[in-house]
Amino acid sequence: MIKIRNYALMCMLAGPFFVHGQNTQIRGFVDVNSSYSKDASTFSLGEQDLFITSSINDRISFLGETIFKYSATSSTLFAASVERMIINYNVYGNHNLIAGRIHTPVNYWNDSYHHGRVFFPTIARPLMFDNNIIPLHSTGVGIQGKDLGSLKFGYNLFVANGLGSNEVLDNDKNKSFTASAYFKPTRDMRIGVSWYNDFISKGATVHGMKYAHRVNQNLASLSVANFGKKLEFLAETTVGFDDVDSVGTSTTVASYVYAGYRIKDKFIPYVRYDDIQYHGEGHSMMNNSSKMVVGVRYQINYLAVLKLEYQDIRTEGSADVNKIIAQIAVGF
Amino acid sequence: MKTIQYSPQQANSGKSTFRLFLIVFFFSLSFVARSQEKNLVAIGNQTGVPATLKLSELKAVMMGEQQRWKSGNRVLIALMKTTTPLGKQVAEEIYDMTGDGVNKYWLALVFQGKAQAPNFFSSVAELENFVAQNPGAIGILNKPSNSDEIKTILIDGQKTF
Repeated sequence: MIKIRNYALMCMLAGPFFVHGQNTQIRGFVDVNSSYSKDASTFSLGEQDLFITSSINDRISFLGETIFKYSATSSTLFAASVERMIINYNVYGNHNLIAGRIHTPVNYWNDSYHHGRVFFPTIARPLMFDNNIIPLHSTGVGIQGKDLGSLKFGYNLFVANGLGSNEVLDNDKNKSFTASAYFKPTRDMRIGVSWYNDFISKGATVHGMKYAHRVNQNLASLSVANFGKKLEFLAETTVGFDDVDSVGTSTTVASYVYAGYRIKDKFIPYVRYDDIQYHGEGHSMMNNSSKMVVGVRYQINYLAVLKLEYQDIRTEGSADVNKIIAQIAVGF
Repeated sequence: MKTIQYSPQQANSGKSTFRLFLIVFFFSLSFVARSQEKNLVAIGNQTGVPATLKLSELKAVMMGEQQRWKSGNRVLIALMKTTTPLGKQVAEEIYDMTGDGVNKYWLALVFQGKAQAPNFFSSVAELENFVAQNPGAIGILNKPSNSDEIKTILIDGQKTF
């Protein structure tokens, strides 16, 4: 009986894909990693990324990205997480209204690579993503444009539930606001800037940390990206200003520079340097850190890539971490 | 034994003939190369797609940089699979990429939510059929289409490019 019920459920779920099969595409990405350090060697599963796009009609489309990954707190040891859920309405030309959950377009990396490791130029994201400096997701509405004029100008304006909110309820009256703009002086180059503002309420919990004071957070970012046939270059900086009630302003400067060079058709040696600096009273518990990455990428084809990397992570007050990591990432 | 001797005039005449041969040979080569370069044809649905485009505009459209035509119709891109000879040629001449590069380019663009995926076909007949049936559809062939439901888009004023 359970089998029949499951089968019926699967048919119901699969139904729309058969009915509108020509308009719906399902893709996926996975990665498997292995790391070696002085103390241990480990195999680890990365993320299984289910990616769905669908044209609903001439103007409306949908994009969904759901991740399945290891979770120690789940009974099955795996948890699903909806990373992006976007309904897009093409208003006019290259201008679109978007609603849903997006990767906040504060910089090139967060706006371009998402969760498909097969696209990452390195094995993992830069430090600024791990240290909760970038607001990775935003749930709300916005407007975006792309490839406008001869300089291929693009923009994003997005209003969302602020930090401390969840995906169904804002925790206060304040909304976060993201404005970003970029242009492409050449086909391979993109230069962009962004500004993000949010008010975090007193008592709100953000990234597992409870805020004792109200914070007015502003993030200003600059990105320069160039991915040519030979040379790959990506540099991004985000400067964060946290204006904390009755404490003062704390500043965070998070940057990284990536460079790669294709020496043969499929081999790209690369380096990346990340740096995070904290200044001010509000960040007295935060430690400056840096990360050096040296690696090589072997592009088997457009759906499969092997990476081998040496990482050196230095954090003030902690022992240095050195490790070698290998990753195979595929799309399907 | 008879010895053949060439006069200076005869030697010069031989050199001139050889030079003429070289000129004709290289001219023929360049002509063949040019005719190979100029065998692509842009086709479009009778509705929504403009009758003429600049080559730079065509490339921008094929790169997914234009969501709608001026007519308001959605741009629908039809491509031969990059494993086919025509697909490879289009990858090189329109995208300035390898076939794999084109596949990666589109996968990334769709993954970023910045474009709708193009439609890839295994045969020219399938591609022509798609373009004929969908307003706003555009595709590239290596010879003019015989279908009345399809128009040839002039690129820089030429039928082939």
